[in-house]
Amino acid sequence: MSIEWYLVVSAMIFCIGAGGVITRRSPLVTLLCLELMLNAGNLALIAFSRMWGNAEGQVFAIIVMVVAACEVCVGLGVIVAMYRRRLPIDVDDMRELHG
Amino acid sequence: MIAATGPHIDVEALSPLLALTGGGLVVLLVGLLRPRVVREVLVPLLALASLAAALGLAIWQWDADEEIIAGALRVDTLALAFTAFVIVAAAITVLLSWRAVAPREAAHGEYYAMLLVSAAGMSVLVQAQNLVSLFIGFELLSVPLYVLCASEMRRSSSLEAGLKYLIIGSVGSATLLYGLALIYGATGRTDFAAIADALNSVGGPVSDPLFLTGLALSVVGLAFKVSVAPFHQWTPDAYEGAPTPVTAFMATATKVAALGVIIRFFDVALINAQPDWAPALAALATITIVVGNVGAIGQTSVKRLLAWSSVAQAGYMLAGIVVGTQHGIEAVAFYLAAYLVMNMAAFAVVVARARETGLGDAIEALEGIGQSKPLLAWPMTIAMLGLAGIPGTAGFIGKFFLIDGAVDGDYAWLGIVIVVGSAVSLVYYLKVVAAMWMRPAPRSVPVLAGGAVDDPPADAPAGPRAAGGEVTLVAVGCAAGPVVFGVLPGPLFDIARDAAAAMSHLF
Repeated sequence: MSIEWYLVVSAMIFCIGAGGVITRRSPLVTLLCLELMLNAGNLALIAFSRMWGNAEGQVFAIIVMVVAACEVCVGLGVIVAMYRRRLPIDVDDMRELHG
Repeated sequence: MIAATGPHIDVEALSPLLALTGGGLVVLLVGLLRPRVVREVLVPLLALASLAAALGLAIWQWDADEEIIAGALRVDTLALAFTAFVIVAAAITVLLSWRAVAPREAAHGEYYAMLLVSAAGMSVLVQAQNLVSLFIGFELLSVPLYVLCASEMRRSSSLEAGLKYLIIGSVGSATLLYGLALIYGATGRTDFAAIADALNSVGGPVSDPLFLTGLALSVVGLAFKVSVAPFHQWTPDAYEGAPTPVTAFMATATKVAALGVIIRFFDVALINAQPDWAPALAALATITIVVGNVGAIGQTSVKRLLAWSSVAQAGYMLAGIVVGTQHGIEAVAFYLAAYLVMNMAAFAVVVARARETGLGDAIEALEGIGQSKPLLAWPMTIAMLGLAGIPGTAGFIGKFFLIDGAVDGDYAWLGIVIVVGSAVSLVYYLKVVAAMWMRPAPRSVPVLAGGAVDDPPADAPAGPRAAGGEVTLVAVGCAAGPVVFGVLPGPLFDIARDAAAAMSHLF
């Protein structure tokens, strides 16, 4: 199968993720969509790694997975802290800071 | 069977980074000890010690010019100068956090460890010589900052700022990652030198759509971090909601690191595609200068005002990178140092007044301090005039170099935009100065009976208390910087020239 198909899929996943970040109101779903965006990058990296026949893209992709896990940990931590303070878990209701 | 041989590790060249990460671990562990004096005094002192060690090691390595860890990082004067700026910013942040609420709520060990790790990430970022280390540095810088933003866990605006910064910052990282993946796809390599070679073999402007898409996406990703318009919307919110010492760190050190990596990425890896990215960056710089300066005009919170001003300042500095010359990089390095001390002075005054008045970061908190608190009013005045670029301050000389660099690199119109932007910026910088010197102190300043409380409980509301000598010291010390370097720019100029000399392949 040619490389284009992998790229099309990865671009679609990236766009779905970006669209979700913009439109979804729950921070949890937003985090999920961020994961989609990062993993779209991973898919592209691995496809390119196959195409060029070197391992650099795969190494990059593994590192990205670790980083993505860290980001989600911090994101969930902040959401739990907000939940404990009974703050609205809805990005549209976060209006204390505006401008 | 082939024995795997790891890359040669040059410990000496790596030592500033090791001092920062090692310091972070030590601070984290010492923060677990029970005695209060250990947590509140020893932990910040240890953080300062490891920053001092890292600064010393960076100066010791000053003449180094080598690639370390199999070409992942490059230690040269550019990296070391920018690392030194970051370390200075982190040390000032430790002083501003000394009696702040944030470390007490988030536990001292964790707070200072996050700060040190973030500084280490910035150091990795300015040394990055490879797409992978660029991304790691980017995230190592960002993730601790998300936590630090949300570290005043009892204040909902702090949590909100943390979450907003996390979401927008992660969108930036994901976009950057996709852009880097496409650049890797177009060139087949991840290290900067090989990418430059691959682009060089094309000759002339690169027209590969894969590469151009990757370039556009990585510009967007980096623009989120430097808060370049139109990717700046998170900046005022995150700056206002974050604890003020953290805001000071974000406004200065993040900018140093992000501009450092932009210099590396564009002027090393992508220098052969300069005709492709220079017009785009020049357009972004113009938009940023306009949006930042216009946005700052109506602000009533000093932190928001400084956030918008930092957007505009990022635009000025981007102009030095657009031209892709050594002269431009020199100007950026000089301006970054000046910008760092001026902003730190301003934030120190904001911290001091927020503690003394309980009015938070509103401009009213500064009213009338010209008569009552000259030690705070003068630093703020110097910072504001310096950021506006009044002659006699380092801000003026920095802007002069930036405009000179832009004109030199055939971007004279960008120089004109900087001049017009600075003229507009006087509107809001002078508003702050006028509030300090020309208005009486407001009668409504709440003063608690008994005056300053030395040690309020952790959940006390932000009531009036003593600002702390270290904050005044930071304000005065940082304000001395722009004046000294404004009159005698020589030493700072030498550092900037050394930093730019690392980019010897440029004109």
